[in-house]
Amino acid sequence: MRQISRAAVIWQLIAFAGVVIPHLAWLPFWLIGLCLATPAVRLMIHTGRWPLPHWSVKLLLILVVAAGLLLSFSRETGMDATVALLVAGLALKMVEIYHRRDALVLLYVALFVCATAFLYHQSIAMALYALLNVVLVVAALNSIYQDPLRTDLIRPLKRSLRLVSLSLPLMLVLFILFPRIGPLWSVSMNQQRALSGLSDTLAPGDISQLTKSAELAFRVRFDGEVPGPAQRYWRSLIYSEFDGRSWRVPGDYEHRYLGAETLAQIRRSLSYEVVYEPSNRNWLVALDQPLSAPQGMRFGPGQTLYSVRSVDRRLHYRLRSALEYRLQPILSERERSAYLQLPNEGNQRSREVAEQWWQEADQNPERFVAIVLRQFSRSFTYTLTPPPLGQEPIDRFLFDTQQGFCGHYAGALAFLLRSIGVPARVVGGYQGGEWNPYERYITVRQYEAHAWVEYWIENRGWVRIDPTAAVSPERIVETADRVFAGDPAFLADTPLARWRFGGSGWLVDLRRQIEALNFNWHRWVLNYQGQQMELLAGLMGQVSMLKMVFALLLPFASVMLVMAWMQLKGRRAKPKDPIDRALQRLISRLERLGIPRRTDETLQRYAIRVVTEYPELSAGMESLARQDEAVRYAGKSTQRRDLLAAINDCYRALRTVRRVDAEDRGK
Amino acid sequence: MSDPLLNAVEDALNALERVLLGKRQQLRLALTCMLSQGHLLIEDLPGMGKTTLAHGLARVLGLEDHRVQFTSDMLPADIIGVSVFEPASGEFRFHAGPVFCQLLLADEINRTTPKTQSALLEAMEEGQVTVDGHTYRLPKPFFVIATQNPATQYGTFPLPESQLDRFLMRISLGYPAPEVERKLLLGGDTRSELSTLPRCLTPNELVEVQQRCATIHASSSVIDYLQRLVQFTRDSELFSYGVSPRGALALLRCARTWAWLEGRAHLVPEDIQQVLEPVIGHRIRTAEDIGSHAGTRLVNELLAQVDVLG
Repeated sequence: MRQISRAAVIWQLIAFAGVVIPHLAWLPFWLIGLCLATPAVRLMIHTGRWPLPHWSVKLLLILVVAAGLLLSFSRETGMDATVALLVAGLALKMVEIYHRRDALVLLYVALFVCATAFLYHQSIAMALYALLNVVLVVAALNSIYQDPLRTDLIRPLKRSLRLVSLSLPLMLVLFILFPRIGPLWSVSMNQQRALSGLSDTLAPGDISQLTKSAELAFRVRFDGEVPGPAQRYWRSLIYSEFDGRSWRVPGDYEHRYLGAETLAQIRRSLSYEVVYEPSNRNWLVALDQPLSAPQGMRFGPGQTLYSVRSVDRRLHYRLRSALEYRLQPILSERERSAYLQLPNEGNQRSREVAEQWWQEADQNPERFVAIVLRQFSRSFTYTLTPPPLGQEPIDRFLFDTQQGFCGHYAGALAFLLRSIGVPARVVGGYQGGEWNPYERYITVRQYEAHAWVEYWIENRGWVRIDPTAAVSPERIVETADRVFAGDPAFLADTPLARWRFGGSGWLVDLRRQIEALNFNWHRWVLNYQGQQMELLAGLMGQVSMLKMVFALLLPFASVMLVMAWMQLKGRRAKPKDPIDRALQRLISRLERLGIPRRTDETLQRYAIRVVTEYPELSAGMESLARQDEAVRYAGKSTQRRDLLAAINDCYRALRTVRRVDAEDRGK
Repeated sequence: MSDPLLNAVEDALNALERVLLGKRQQLRLALTCMLSQGHLLIEDLPGMGKTTLAHGLARVLGLEDHRVQFTSDMLPADIIGVSVFEPASGEFRFHAGPVFCQLLLADEINRTTPKTQSALLEAMEEGQVTVDGHTYRLPKPFFVIATQNPATQYGTFPLPESQLDRFLMRISLGYPAPEVERKLLLGGDTRSELSTLPRCLTPNELVEVQQRCATIHASSSVIDYLQRLVQFTRDSELFSYGVSPRGALALLRCARTWAWLEGRAHLVPEDIQQVLEPVIGHRIRTAEDIGSHAGTRLVNELLAQVDVLG
């Protein structure tokens, strides 16, 4: 029950501030107030202006804070509430730290709060900040064991830095080797915070929302060949129901009803890994046609990939996809009717013009599509801010406005195809992606969301056709940011977007390098559990329990050995005086020969002992002892030179003695 | 060894050794204490030769000595003296107590009450006593050699720290070695030899020795060592309190005398080491056990922890 020093109180304040700062962005305002007020109160106590609070005051504070927490978080009992409770407890404890025990409680909780910051952000910057926090908390821990009368602020920090830097190698070893155990319970993340990727309905205007967002959607690294920009169609969703106004993804029941589609005549396939950002939805992305679904994932309609659980954390998966293939060459009746579904009436003008073009195309679907695309490229324009379409969207789009983006074109084309009896569906996903040359991967952002059409031809199966390419071919070949650069609506919601995504030269280069760093961070640190076994197998061959245990023990043992060695060596600082230095060299040599000097032994007495062991040194040692006494104690500093010579003589004599000894032993 | 004074002191030592067999180290320490103008406390069990040593010292140094046996019912006046009304002159006349001498042997000082013990304080520190408003100076030199039984024995009043601090040294004699004891048993009473001890030094010579000792050269290296020792007692958690500046000065004074006895004109660390235990042993205490004087153990620890060479 010892009182802590005043410097320790300051350190508690610093550590507290450090761990609470990352949470200020989302905590309710009154809790932020509490976090500011309690250190202030503690400072008042620290400077002696206020007394430590009475127990009744503390009780009142607890009740008020408990009530506040209940009011603020009554609707959710999730992660936010838990972290808020921890922070509130920390803030309240701040007021009453006085004894060492209080400070210990505070600091242990502070370490925990420091770790909770990772629930919200997992960036490199946050990791570095957390490391800084660890240094601060360890410094605070160190300070509470200081003498209560000492008020040294810097020494705990120095010690903490030394401790943390010493433990970094062990931390790395543990990170690499320690087995990853799945969570014992899952924390439900806040649903509102997550960004949604695409939407399950495609009404005109929806994808426009996405286009304004520069958030990361996913990243892909290919094992070998990288497909060109025009081939990068990342499929996510099949919109197969049209209600006259918007295209919808059918419910779960309908997919199963339709069953899986078969993939035939695969000619070209690629392997790659995807790092998919959390979307809180089930659907995932895959390049064209994935050959098989990884664990925890299934195939949905049109062989799109979806996750069994909604994606509430960053997902890492490997796929192999076919680029040249035939998908479902034979269509069942049930599928045919599902993909021909249209409302009985509405958009009459479109139906009529479709019939007219169908006759022009001699009832050939491919020729029909060519006619439609020709129409699109002739008089339609691509824009991110199209006018509203009203009641009969397809008619208005085709005949009146003739302006739109991918969703408008894909929706219209699919409608036209269905109206003349060709099975068709709108596919949602992403198109393109930015190539990062430093780490050789592709970054796909939300503004690269896209919609296109697949229609079915007898014996060839589903064929992809992208009507947007007819209107604005550069949208497919170039990255979205270059295409939209002149459009004021593009990225309008993202501040600094022009700086981040526009520009050229070194700025783009720098951005790509930072992104490459982030990509590796996600791949090797945040998703390390995926790589662990692979890496370990690469390092030590067959992974076995015994090898793991040894690999874990070895670094610990070596650290212990180094520490023991440092302790035994007694790390004496080198003296500045040449005489002292020479003397120390001589004594340590003698000590290594087995004549340790006791601390209370003067040089004169030590010399006598040395001479009994090595009589051949008697002349040298006696002269040394005499000179030393004269210089050191009798005040004859003029003989310093003689003393130094005597020491060096002894040292030299000792070397010959040793050699003679060794030769004797040799004989 | 051409110094006649040093020879005289050596003679004194040899003479003393005839009555206290095999205790040359203790005798040397006792002499060092006297030559450093300090009071000596001898702590030991009864019958170890404490009184013999005190008498012997008085004799060889040629000092006029008084012996007071301390008892539990003793009063300060029994030591200092008392003013008595004389009807003849109609005045009070001061009858000097036993303290008025050059060497006071206070036997079993811890048998008496603190009040009486304290009566000696002024005498020891100031060289004077005050009775009824009159201050009487004591003769010079004035020494107190006190003996005491170990504090664990029945009927003892432990001396307070302030009183202990007045003694320059505390030594104990210890049991004699077996062969020495045999010689003692065969040779008969050595006490009778006390009266045959020669007087080796005159009081003037004693003063001169004291002056010479004070001129012994103490180099900065030795002072460094002394300071490290003293500082260690103050910083280390082994000690409940450290050595006072008075203790440090006492250490230096005794070490100087020791060096002079060794025939040297300068101090070496060994001089300090030799007198360390007797000088600071009664001035320090262990941190964990405030009640006991584990002096020897602490001093050994101190020596082992503080490097002579720095």
